[in-house]
Amino acid sequence: MLLYTCLLLASVVMLTPLVWLIAAAFKQGEDFFVYDFFPPPQRLSLTNFRSLFDQLPFLSFLVNSLFVSSATVIVQLAFSSLGGFALAKYSFRGKRVVMFLMLSTLVIPPEVLLAPLYELIYRLGLMDSYRGLIAPHAVSVFGMFLFAQSMKQVPDDLLLAGRIDGCTEFGLYWRVVMPVSRPMIGAFCLIAFMSSWNSFIWPLIVLHSQDNFTLPLGLNQMVGVYKEDYGALMAGTLLSVLPVAVLFFALQKEFVAGLTSGAVKG
Amino acid sequence: MWYRIQSRYAPYLFIAPFLLLFALFWAYPLVQSLRLSLYATSGPESQVYIGLDNFRFLLSDPDFHLAVWNTLIYALFVVVVQLPLSLGLAVLLNRPGLKLRNVFRFVFFSPHLMGTVFASVLFGLIFAPRFGVFNRVLHLLVGLPMNTRWLGDADLVMPAIIILSLWLNVGFYMIYLLAALQGVRPDLYEAARVDGAGSWTRFLHVTLPGIWPVLLFVLVISTIGAFRVFELPWLLLQSTTGPDQSGLFIVTYLYQNGFEAADLGYASAIGWLLTAGVMLLTLVQLRIGGLGRGGES
Amino acid sequence: MRDRLAGVIPIGLAPAVLGVVAVVAGSLVLARGESDKHQDITVWTFSNTHYDTFMQTVPGFRHNADSDDIPVIDLQLVHYRVLDRRLRSTMWAGMDVPDLVEVNFNRAGTFFRGPVDKVGFIDLMPYLQRTDATGLTYLDRVLPSRLAAYTDRGRVFGLPHDVHPYVIAYRRDIFEAEGIDPDSIETWDDFIEVGRRLTIPDQRYMLQLDDTGVLSFEALLLQRGGGFFDSQGALTIDNETAVQTMLWFVPLVAGDQRISDNPAAQGQAFYKAIGDGYIVCFLCPDWLTKKIEMNLPQLAGKLALMPLPAVSPGGRRTTVRSGTMLGITADTPDPELAWELATYLYFDPAQVGPRFRQTNTLPANRDAWDDPVFREPRAYWSGQRIGELYIRLADQAPTQYSSPFQEQAAAKVGQAIAGACAYYRQHGDAGFETYVRDSLRDQAKAVRNQIQRNPF
Repeated sequence: MLLYTCLLLASVVMLTPLVWLIAAAFKQGEDFFVYDFFPPPQRLSLTNFRSLFDQLPFLSFLVNSLFVSSATVIVQLAFSSLGGFALAKYSFRGKRVVMFLMLSTLVIPPEVLLAPLYELIYRLGLMDSYRGLIAPHAVSVFGMFLFAQSMKQVPDDLLLAGRIDGCTEFGLYWRVVMPVSRPMIGAFCLIAFMSSWNSFIWPLIVLHSQDNFTLPLGLNQMVGVYKEDYGALMAGTLLSVLPVAVLFFALQKEFVAGLTSGAVKG
Repeated sequence: MWYRIQSRYAPYLFIAPFLLLFALFWAYPLVQSLRLSLYATSGPESQVYIGLDNFRFLLSDPDFHLAVWNTLIYALFVVVVQLPLSLGLAVLLNRPGLKLRNVFRFVFFSPHLMGTVFASVLFGLIFAPRFGVFNRVLHLLVGLPMNTRWLGDADLVMPAIIILSLWLNVGFYMIYLLAALQGVRPDLYEAARVDGAGSWTRFLHVTLPGIWPVLLFVLVISTIGAFRVFELPWLLLQSTTGPDQSGLFIVTYLYQNGFEAADLGYASAIGWLLTAGVMLLTLVQLRIGGLGRGGES
Repeated sequence: MRDRLAGVIPIGLAPAVLGVVAVVAGSLVLARGESDKHQDITVWTFSNTHYDTFMQTVPGFRHNADSDDIPVIDLQLVHYRVLDRRLRSTMWAGMDVPDLVEVNFNRAGTFFRGPVDKVGFIDLMPYLQRTDATGLTYLDRVLPSRLAAYTDRGRVFGLPHDVHPYVIAYRRDIFEAEGIDPDSIETWDDFIEVGRRLTIPDQRYMLQLDDTGVLSFEALLLQRGGGFFDSQGALTIDNETAVQTMLWFVPLVAGDQRISDNPAAQGQAFYKAIGDGYIVCFLCPDWLTKKIEMNLPQLAGKLALMPLPAVSPGGRRTTVRSGTMLGITADTPDPELAWELATYLYFDPAQVGPRFRQTNTLPANRDAWDDPVFREPRAYWSGQRIGELYIRLADQAPTQYSSPFQEQAAAKVGQAIAGACAYYRQHGDAGFETYVRDSLRDQAKAVRNQIQRNPF
């Protein structure tokens, strides 16, 4: 019984802010301060969402974020799985060097690169563009480790059989290895999507015009625009979290498997 | 037999995107940042060579000292409080025969789905004085005054930041630890029980060694994460460093110098000191962790 | 269903869905694209109210007064948190630089840094010395104290938009209920005495003052003739005026006798504290009155303004802090056109008058003040003629001098305030003066170190 009491208590602590967020998004005007959580049902309203779309280019923030994050994930997926495949199933000269380089990126905090990367993006003429936003993150070292780990389990015989059947090396990757790695792909997509969806400092530095802003930047701006409107701010926050939540529900199983396998088996 | 030739060159082709991107967006900037750290700059166009002056000034810069101090305090709490909490929840969830395990796991993990940016916006209001729900709850429970300013009182800013960080990350690291716990062989527990070991002894001698590699992994990545803290306090404190600079962290200072004051050189120097610190700490952690437990994995 | 779909897509559903999202969102982004239309002149502003009012009048702008030549004007709203970074990037790159740009005082100084010939704004002095039909030069028309704020090494880099005189806004209903006559308050001592009477700890405070930053302190320091920088750009945060102001300020916001609380310096929490009567008075620059009207409609007729209490009888009854300048960038191909638009926006009486109704902001060009708009009684402010009040105080306004190191100085003074408050809460008056002196001296030293380190 004590066990369940502890768990329940912990659940309440974890969920209270989320419940409060949902309540705040649906409260109108003064109700925001009058009721701590939900007002009586008949006072719930969608005004916050309406003013969110009326006062701010919220929809364009949302579209920008969806584009940037999904494009980043697709590109990362392609490059990382290819790299992972090479590491898992081939022996080639310089493999150890590659592994060492990969490890170095995990230990060196990327913030040390912010200033020179900014300079580089500026010199490449990519300021305020999505190319400048996505390019430096086009490959995920974490993803390469993840895929290398899972692709090691593909039997060599399977690849050999494919080769004898006249399959190209890329064909092996696409038709044999990738389908087998499907759970890992799901997990990677979610993790990569989450990190891109929430990324703040790099877009903050690269993007300048409001038209290009992603959700984190846009929401950060909402504070102080026209009327100070906490209700709309919370409605915006709720809508911003929704896509990640949807993706998570769809990929829950793969996610847990993927997240833990890297650590536990490695 | 042309597939032999093909399979010799294929891996280079497959790894090429990584190498190219690595060279352009990692290796080159890394070298550049070393160079930049020796310059005083005002944007990319005006740069003056000043040798080691940036580093010299950093070592005597009271703001940098404060940023390092705040970061150390934060990292210490994150590791000392968060890890046991994560482990505790994981142990609870690992009890045999527990009902609703997946539901609880999802509930504990759910804050992490919000992400730092959006959670910081949310908690900016939750911590608000006079009407914030955090004060309301503490007012009811322990009589805390409703006008307590979590984000406006220099002594309370750090606790507020740590509370938010715990809320966000405890469930996330729990997932790793739970998976590790589930991987400990049950027959080891059985053997220990037959030997008459109590539950605490079993935890120390069976559970802990069993999950040690994962624990070490979680320790290392959460420490690195703590040293890189920026978005959470920056957004929670509405793009400021808070009262009396109580929310000034190393990366915050780097951002302010590099991108608000446009001194990319000084920012690079800060970045290099951060890197040195993180690498040193990681090495120490791995060393102690590896030596202390006979070096599994 | 899911399995069948997954069978069709070899690498799983997730990337397929994300791929579709990327393509759909990407084409939306592309479709929105950059409407690459031709424009003669680009203007950036960071203020929503400026944007709205400029939007209304910009279509009326004509090149050479009466001609049919209508220049295409691209007016852009750029958020204040990114405006200076974006402006700096475009200036470095020499690409997409706006012709005219409004910059906030706190950031303006950072653009004046470096060799005077390399500053990204042109010197407006030659333009200001021109006379117009009335025989007055523009220089005669602008309030000198505001022009000085954007003058660096003898060059005028910005046209001041506003005066931003400070007054005290108070809850008239509470004053009346407590039998307090605002006219009886002439000095800060009078004000504090009333404050002691009205303040009920944890329930009601006389005043809102910022004790975590410099928002209030800097304004009050300027009222006393001090400031962060002098006219030569030298740091003055540790001079005697600063010390005396700090010694006076801290007991207002910290300790048992305080009459001020700071539930929030801005935002909805700030408005709520006023609406609840938790805060009775607050320092109120002109622009804030408009924000108050928008965010606290329920207080219409219950608020009123009074001049700032003087430090000593007969003293200065107002202060200023911050503001906005309009600069012409050095990259503009047509400075004449830019100047024409600048004077149209800032000096055209047909605009400046009506704009006051929308912004409540007192413009820095004094010839506009004759407009009857400034004498209109305002129902929201208990029928007061707020424009008249501002105009009466404007000439007393002190000068706030800009500096590239404004924000560093503000951060350090903010630290000194927080430290002094903590000390005062703990130790009271004992050793307080020594602490404040030492603390300001240390903070000043830190800022001077940064200034000296900078080779530009």
